[in-house]
Amino acid sequence: MKKSLYQIALAAFLLPILARGIFYYRGFAARPSISTPDYAALQIAPAPLKTPAAEAKNNAAMEGIILFDETHGNQFTPSEISALTEAIAARGGAVEFLTDSSSLEYKLKYARAFVVVSPSAPFYDAETRLIQNFTAQGGRLLVFTDATRGSVYEDYISGIPKYYSDAPAANTLLTAFDISVNDDYLYDLQHNDSNFRNVLFDEFAKAELVFGIKQAAFYGAHSLATTSGTLLLQSAESTRSSIDDEHHPQSGGAALSADGNTLALGDLTFLSSPYNKMADNAALIQNIADFTLNGERHISLKNFPFVFEKPEAQVYLASDVTFSTEVIGALGEAQSAFAADGIALTVGDKIPNEGNAIILATFDQNDEIAPYLKPFEVTLDGGEFFKISKFGSVGRYGSGLLLLQQSKTGNTLLMLANSSEDLVAFIGVIASGSLDACVLQENFGVCSVGYGGEYGQSEEATPEPVLDSTADATPQG
Amino acid sequence: MDAKIKWEQIRVWLLWLALPLLLGLLAAAAIPRPVIGIIYLYDAIDSYAADNMIVQIDYAIENPEVRAVVLAFDSPGGTVVDTEAVYFELSQLRAKKPVVVAVNGMAASGAYYLSANSDYIYAKPTSLVGNIGVIGYLPPTPFVIEDVISTGPYKLWGAPRDSDMRQIDMIKEAFYQAVQLGRGDKLKIERDEILSGQIWSGIDATRMGIADELGGESDAIKKAAELAHVSNYKVENLYVSILESLGIDPYTYVSASTFFLKTPEGATLPYPSKAGIYLLYIPQLPFQP
Repeated sequence: MKKSLYQIALAAFLLPILARGIFYYRGFAARPSISTPDYAALQIAPAPLKTPAAEAKNNAAMEGIILFDETHGNQFTPSEISALTEAIAARGGAVEFLTDSSSLEYKLKYARAFVVVSPSAPFYDAETRLIQNFTAQGGRLLVFTDATRGSVYEDYISGIPKYYSDAPAANTLLTAFDISVNDDYLYDLQHNDSNFRNVLFDEFAKAELVFGIKQAAFYGAHSLATTSGTLLLQSAESTRSSIDDEHHPQSGGAALSADGNTLALGDLTFLSSPYNKMADNAALIQNIADFTLNGERHISLKNFPFVFEKPEAQVYLASDVTFSTEVIGALGEAQSAFAADGIALTVGDKIPNEGNAIILATFDQNDEIAPYLKPFEVTLDGGEFFKISKFGSVGRYGSGLLLLQQSKTGNTLLMLANSSEDLVAFIGVIASGSLDACVLQENFGVCSVGYGGEYGQSEEATPEPVLDSTADATPQG
Repeated sequence: MDAKIKWEQIRVWLLWLALPLLLGLLAAAAIPRPVIGIIYLYDAIDSYAADNMIVQIDYAIENPEVRAVVLAFDSPGGTVVDTEAVYFELSQLRAKKPVVVAVNGMAASGAYYLSANSDYIYAKPTSLVGNIGVIGYLPPTPFVIEDVISTGPYKLWGAPRDSDMRQIDMIKEAFYQAVQLGRGDKLKIERDEILSGQIWSGIDATRMGIADELGGESDAIKKAAELAHVSNYKVENLYVSILESLGIDPYTYVSASTFFLKTPEGATLPYPSKAGIYLLYIPQLPFQP
């Protein structure tokens, strides 16, 4: 009896507790163990190995002026390209900046390479033609673009900012060389230098520019394409273009034109510190510096006054030309004019065996200048005309003949005119720094040098006009 | 005599039935009604918002009647360190109680970092979810200022630009691990796609396993109750509960957050007011005003 009372009491006590508990709680929620990332094991991504040996590479035997464009809203500072300019200087090259677009033609006459960095303004057709002629003569063109160098403009009406990359402006020039810069950026989420936009290139074309390079790292790079040229840098399959998030094996980080004279790169950042020392970038920059200076520049009279390999030349007066007051005055003028262009003229008493020379002679002088005339097939028979093969006969009076002969030891510029007086006028044309008054044909040119002393001696006087009295008067309307 | 017997019987019933029942009722009253706590994050995660959340999380851990927590998000993320601070506290809570996320407007970047540390994620069809990754401003190239004296080359600038960039990638790796640990086999997309930084709609996020199901806050509350095995629960805004317990009127309390940049006219911009490294969704990069 007592036992059952206890059981009743216990049941009475537990019943409300159980009822409330069951009303609210339907079981026990077992919790899983919660893991957090292994923060302590995380490490900063190491930089790709540097290639310090490449930095010491130096070849001081190369010379030339490398012209950097600053006339197309170029988005760079000199310090950003210092790794390249220093490599150029280490080879004996010099760097000049083009700040006035009207002097492009003039400066391309002597530049070895023309470098365009991240342009924001397009190239005009005339500029492109000049640069095409420049590369056709063996000049080197380098175009650096960069996916991080865009311009932001606000829409005039809506005020909404719009982004313009440097690719369209670069393409106004590069299309002429069958290279195009894609308006994208490359990225790689797997194979990169610490960040998805820092792309590593491991596949290289067979070209001097990438000789000795095993890996290059670009930092925010456009992709480039070419159909006739060569893609120099190609990346892993995991590298994608931001345009469509796909891998494009037909595009890469750098392209070389079919003639080997135009190089375009999708990145600029790899030139600046510390990125210039990542992976094999230092070696790549050295190779690019070589590329700027080692082009086989074919000089013609179109390059006048920069027709000499070195900025110095010796003037020689053939035996039929004397140092008259007029000749001395004209030569002095020419010396000053050439000096202004950085070319030192000196006078010598014989034709130099090596080095650059300017020879002044008349058409009558034959023995000394005969060897120089032969390659041009110029015939001087003492008559009123001289004849040039593939050009025709030219009247000797008031004309100047300019012949440029190139050799490994130096270039020779031969200037022939009918008389000393004509030569003086001819030197004046040369001193003007322009051959606009001349008909140029590769390495020879014929110039109008005004009226020579003998001019008109064998010519008939201009006939007086004869009035025909039988002619009808202008009919009256 | 009958009366005596009757009274004895009543006394027995009172002693052995009514009294234990009464005591049982009193004891039952001590069993608390379960609470599903809600923690709202409707702002960027800065030190202020993080402290606020941590206080609420600790409240949920310490109070046994809070059986599960719903995190209701409309946040673009925020600073790395503040996100991590909340993340660690959330791990403590999850070890004891279920946590369910309801993405109301957006759970981007840092807010998704926190979402990944939950038992279940609801998103609305057009909620914005994801943006997994890190964003930051590189410090300037160090230079010397005449009138500023420091004792080392990076005392003023913090770090070289390059190591800052590499550090960002390390933080990304931690974020990825957090997503992997939180979502596990539910993820239906590969690493590259997860780390692409995309922000997905709730519909896509659910398809990809970034979120679990389409639904709103009340679905999240029901799920939290289900995971906690409770019914007839009540729902409490933990922030309001805490402020009320402190005697502060929650409806007059004004946020002191200065996370976002403000124009001189007072308009709030989507850019942080200070340079740094963030787990943050900035919709209009790179157009900095």
